[in-house]
Amino acid sequence: MENKYWRSLEERNDPVSFRKNEIRAEYEHKKSVIKGESGSSRRDFLKAFGFTIGGTAILASCKRPVEKAIPYLIKPEEVTPGMANYYASTFYEGNEYCSILVKVRDGRPIKIEGNDLSPVSRKGTSAKVQASVLNLYDDARYKGPLKNNEPVTWENLDKEIVEALNQLNAENSKVVFLTSTVISPTFREVIAGLQATYPNIEWVQYDAVPASGMLTAAKESFGSALIPDYHFDKANVIVSFNADFLGTWLSPVEYTKKYSSGRDLKTGRRMSRHYQLEAHMSVSGANADIRIPMKPSQESSALADLYHELLQLGGTATESGKSGISELATVAKDLWENKGQGIVVSGSNRKEDQLIVNAINHILENNGSTITFDRPLLTRQSTDETMEHFIQELTGGNLGGVIFYEVNPVYDHPGGSRISDALKNVSLSVSLADRPDETSSLCRYIATGSHYLENWGDAEPKKGLYSLMQPVIQPLFDSRQPEETLLRWSGNSIRYYDFLREFWRAELYSRQSAFSDFNSFWNDTLQKGVYEVPAETPGLTYNDQGLSSALQLASPATDNWELVLYETVALGNGKYANNPWLQELPDPMAKISWDNFVSVPVEWAEANGVANESVILVNGIEMPVFVQPGQADKTLAVAIGYGRTEAGKTGNNIGFNVFPLVQVVSGNRQFWLPGVTVETTAKTYPLALSQTHHSMEGRPIAREATFAEWQLNPASGNELREDHIKHATTLYEKPNYPGHHWGLAIDLNACTGCGNCTISCQVENNIPVIGKEQVRNRRIMHWIRIDRYYSGKPQNPNVSFQPVMCQQCDNAPCENVCPVAATPHSDEGLNQMAYNRCVGTRYCLNNCPYRVRRFNWLQFVKNDKFDYHTNSDLGRMVLNPDVTVRSRGVVEKCTFCVQRIQDKKQTAKIEGRPLRDGEIEPACVQSCPSSALVFGDMNDNTSQVFRLIGKTTDPEIPGDPRNYHLLEELHTLPSVGYLTKIRNTNT
Amino acid sequence: MKYADIRKFWLPRHFVHYLVFIACSLILMPTDLFGNTENQESQSSSTGDVRRGERFFKGLLPFGREHQACASCHNLSPTDTLNWNPSAYELAQKFATRDINEFTNAVMQPSGAKMTASHQGFNLEAEDFTHIKAYLDDMAMKGPVTSRPTFFNLMLFLFLGLILTWALIEMLFLRRIRYKFIPVLLFLGAFGAQAQMVITDAIRLGRQKAYAPDQPIKFSHAVHVGEQGIDCMYCHTTADHSKSAGLPATDLCMNCHVLIREGTNSGKFEIAKIIESHDTGTPIEWTRIHNLPEHVFFSHAVHVGAAKLDCASCHGPVEEMHVMRQHSDLSMGWCVNCHRDTQVDFNDNGYYDTYIKLHEQLKAGEIDTIRAVNTGANDCMRCHY
Repeated sequence: MENKYWRSLEERNDPVSFRKNEIRAEYEHKKSVIKGESGSSRRDFLKAFGFTIGGTAILASCKRPVEKAIPYLIKPEEVTPGMANYYASTFYEGNEYCSILVKVRDGRPIKIEGNDLSPVSRKGTSAKVQASVLNLYDDARYKGPLKNNEPVTWENLDKEIVEALNQLNAENSKVVFLTSTVISPTFREVIAGLQATYPNIEWVQYDAVPASGMLTAAKESFGSALIPDYHFDKANVIVSFNADFLGTWLSPVEYTKKYSSGRDLKTGRRMSRHYQLEAHMSVSGANADIRIPMKPSQESSALADLYHELLQLGGTATESGKSGISELATVAKDLWENKGQGIVVSGSNRKEDQLIVNAINHILENNGSTITFDRPLLTRQSTDETMEHFIQELTGGNLGGVIFYEVNPVYDHPGGSRISDALKNVSLSVSLADRPDETSSLCRYIATGSHYLENWGDAEPKKGLYSLMQPVIQPLFDSRQPEETLLRWSGNSIRYYDFLREFWRAELYSRQSAFSDFNSFWNDTLQKGVYEVPAETPGLTYNDQGLSSALQLASPATDNWELVLYETVALGNGKYANNPWLQELPDPMAKISWDNFVSVPVEWAEANGVANESVILVNGIEMPVFVQPGQADKTLAVAIGYGRTEAGKTGNNIGFNVFPLVQVVSGNRQFWLPGVTVETTAKTYPLALSQTHHSMEGRPIAREATFAEWQLNPASGNELREDHIKHATTLYEKPNYPGHHWGLAIDLNACTGCGNCTISCQVENNIPVIGKEQVRNRRIMHWIRIDRYYSGKPQNPNVSFQPVMCQQCDNAPCENVCPVAATPHSDEGLNQMAYNRCVGTRYCLNNCPYRVRRFNWLQFVKNDKFDYHTNSDLGRMVLNPDVTVRSRGVVEKCTFCVQRIQDKKQTAKIEGRPLRDGEIEPACVQSCPSSALVFGDMNDNTSQVFRLIGKTTDPEIPGDPRNYHLLEELHTLPSVGYLTKIRNTNT
Repeated sequence: MKYADIRKFWLPRHFVHYLVFIACSLILMPTDLFGNTENQESQSSSTGDVRRGERFFKGLLPFGREHQACASCHNLSPTDTLNWNPSAYELAQKFATRDINEFTNAVMQPSGAKMTASHQGFNLEAEDFTHIKAYLDDMAMKGPVTSRPTFFNLMLFLFLGLILTWALIEMLFLRRIRYKFIPVLLFLGAFGAQAQMVITDAIRLGRQKAYAPDQPIKFSHAVHVGEQGIDCMYCHTTADHSKSAGLPATDLCMNCHVLIREGTNSGKFEIAKIIESHDTGTPIEWTRIHNLPEHVFFSHAVHVGAAKLDCASCHGPVEEMHVMRQHSDLSMGWCVNCHRDTQVDFNDNGYYDTYIKLHEQLKAGEIDTIRAVNTGANDCMRCHY
């Protein structure tokens, strides 16, 4: 099956003129860059030439600076200069949990890797987790405790706050401790201690994006407010209503791992079928086998319809069809045939919707098999009810004080402005934040917290699964971790580290028998990072309380415009807005960075003359447009998490904030708006759109087949490959690799397009951030990009993701055009790039058919015009000392993380043993949450990569039947092999 | 271009501009070339004491009494040859914060064998100490005496330039010499010599072969390695498993120097610096000798740990060096040549089992040895990434 792929609507409708326009635009752009932008002329050139000569003369007579070598006074046992240490720790911020390994070089944490021992995140990370290391070196962080924005000492701050708390306690005036969901059992103990000292303190949890509806529904259906454990790996049929479980919903890294292992055709022959019903094209929708566009107002009735369809299949006569989604009958049939092996989830925050979901899973007998309750997810425990109550008390003037921890309701709650007004009248307002946000900037006291890499701590993300957090660096500023601060205020003088150990000794050490003394238990857990206690089956029974009214409430859809508010993979709820890496990560679907925008449906846009970068008015608010294929009719979508005003120099005023648009409907926050008005305007707004960058000239590059076809013939969809192999002839010598020949296999069926690899690569390889303007100039520097191709109808297209990095071709077109031999081929099949030899002719860049080479058009490092993180000593601490920081005028590209290859080879040589398969993992491979990438030695017949992509130098060994190479008709012999995408459609 | 335009260039106005340009360029050129013209021994804050102290130190005063110049042991400026004794500046620094009595006692009641031997029969008066101390305090404030670098090379270069210019003028305009080949030869010779100088300097640019800077402590590898026979890895502990060979931390020095407080060559003065570093908690700031060019990654581990190379193959006869000096030029050519020549432990190191083809060829006798270059040691990305 061959599809016609298109990257944008302009291209789909008129590919020829689209290409012409694209080329013309690129030419005009380049012309303007050469001529217009700098306005330089021959005279300027001569001036510059003269200065250069002068400069060279002066430089040439300079001596090398005297460098100092300063050894330790007393060398710490575990620190060896030049060698990295890895410490297991825990990431938990913004309701996202991940067990991690932190790479520390010479005392500086510089990279985060996935922890393979974790039963939750299982070696996977997300883009946010990868980027979180930069937040440590963020100059926006508070440098010490503050009172009324003036620095104070910790002694004075503690004294004043304790006095105030005591006074409020004596007056019996209520103080609220507002936190996001706390999953640390020890922290909960600290809070209990605080409440014991000050009985007037009430602890309220609040999450920017809640699971309140799920929790309250579970309370009714099962008698316990919990989020069950979803086994996406065991499911045969997955039906998701608006839940972007591969991108942002609840625990995306965990779900992606499980989801892709249930569809892994590299090792298995089983594949789940995934239905996604949604309005906005989400990452999950893009990966779904069958995606059904649905308006958000249709969700309730669609769920009710599905329930009724299932009842009918079970033999009960009921009526359905309220929602008007005809495909639901097929969905129901598929689910019914896979009884006990399906999962139905909904992203709705309405209790009634979740009640129907529970009922559906109950009659399908999924509860207990694919959905279990022994390890409920604990990362979202707040309910909207308690938050509403808090706001009422706050605005009613009933509170004597508020203490904020890890929350920013002024920004991310629809009642934010009310909170900010009321905060002024509260006598004691304290924030435990480590960096400014909209809420903390209104607080009187800032008891500056530390970054999580500076903290001790623990976490229980799922019941009975514990993990430890350990500091990997001394606090950079005069900060103190909140747990420590609260202990002080409780009048407890114990250090939090000791408190933590004592808690673990009492609560967890006592429950195990493997270790006979606590220190060994502690050290072992600290080293592994995770600890597991046996699961207990809670014995919950389902009851259909509230179901009938929920079904009745399910009203048919309206015909009005509706606006969906969604989280993006990169920025989430906006907590990380000041992180330039995440701001520059192109959105997986729109490929836009540095802005949020409104997605509009294709047909409407065409009918109304609206195109990308047009500005429309939605409820009177100006929003730039992105025409999104697959956007449900009469719906719009905007990302939350933008428009921060107190995030820091990078994140402030990027995009616009839509949290105030969130509606509170019958006590629960609803992340969509019915009945919005839409008006077109004549205005435009520039967006940093990288969608049509790096185009592949419309050749067959993403290949796919259906599951049924694959079962009959594993090579289906890949017929071209055989043809290419047959016709491959070359004048070049056959490459010879005496030792290793590195290869990378990418399973397009597994890749979800989440962007983790892009950020991981950026961190590892010191890739600069270049800002919106330069992204618009098509200069984005990412070494690994994720191409996104659409096929089929623009109203509801199929989507393919394809990560593209340097293909390390054996017959590399870039190599033989370099006039200075800066990019030759190595004995291990690597296409090498010697930066110090490169003179910047960009011939290689232009001759690369994959467009994976990047040119440093400007000096991005140590340049105040690129005020991100590389222009300050603090920000540069994150740079990897094993990778050159490139300067202006140099071409760069993916190296297969040659520094990691060299490092592992060195270890093997010293130990005198061959390299093990899988020992070397480039940054993109290491933490891929869907295990889509496999790296190894193609010369090793036992390696996994050999099994998947064979030997690229030998057409007799083609590898997996699904394997193909990009543009193999060019006979460039890439060392990267792609495995075709398989769609489990029911046709 | 019209003739008139060309003529303009020769107008005096333009010529003045040209001169100004030359002058500016000369000013912009690094002062290093001409030597430091600033007089460090300026008498700005001079009192009679400082000047008298200076003369005394240099052995110029007093005329009547016979005594050895302090400067004969405690040198005033860096020397090419090794002087084990503390330099004048070091003394100045050490005693800057101490009073005159302490200074007098230190000189008159020598500690350690070496100092006792040289500080014999000093016939000094209290006044002399005041002067010397004043001089040293002055020096401690102003910094060490810097010697003037020679600028012979530059003079030669300019001289060659003159010859070259003269030869050119002679050839084109004057034509006074009958034998044309004389100016031609002179021109070629001078130009060639100049080019040679430029090329040599350009190649040496960024290279520091034989670089042997003064270190804060006169630590002698000859004593520690040569005489005492201490293994390199005793101090440079990480050479076999880390990129960096590692400089010993002060506490490692103290393993021995907790007992050994006096050296045969340097007496007590140098060793006291380690003890001071240990007691005050200030690490020693060594001057780095082996500086690789930019953009190169070098790992000791793979050369020492895996290839089992002798340290001396790169660092030379360290056991003979009182002052540590860079033995190799650390240029890329030097690296590459060594990789071409050095055999790898192909049969015994299990890592090389991966190289099946080479093993076959070796067995079949097609090749006789496997050198580092055969396993890709000279690939760009072995060192540049």
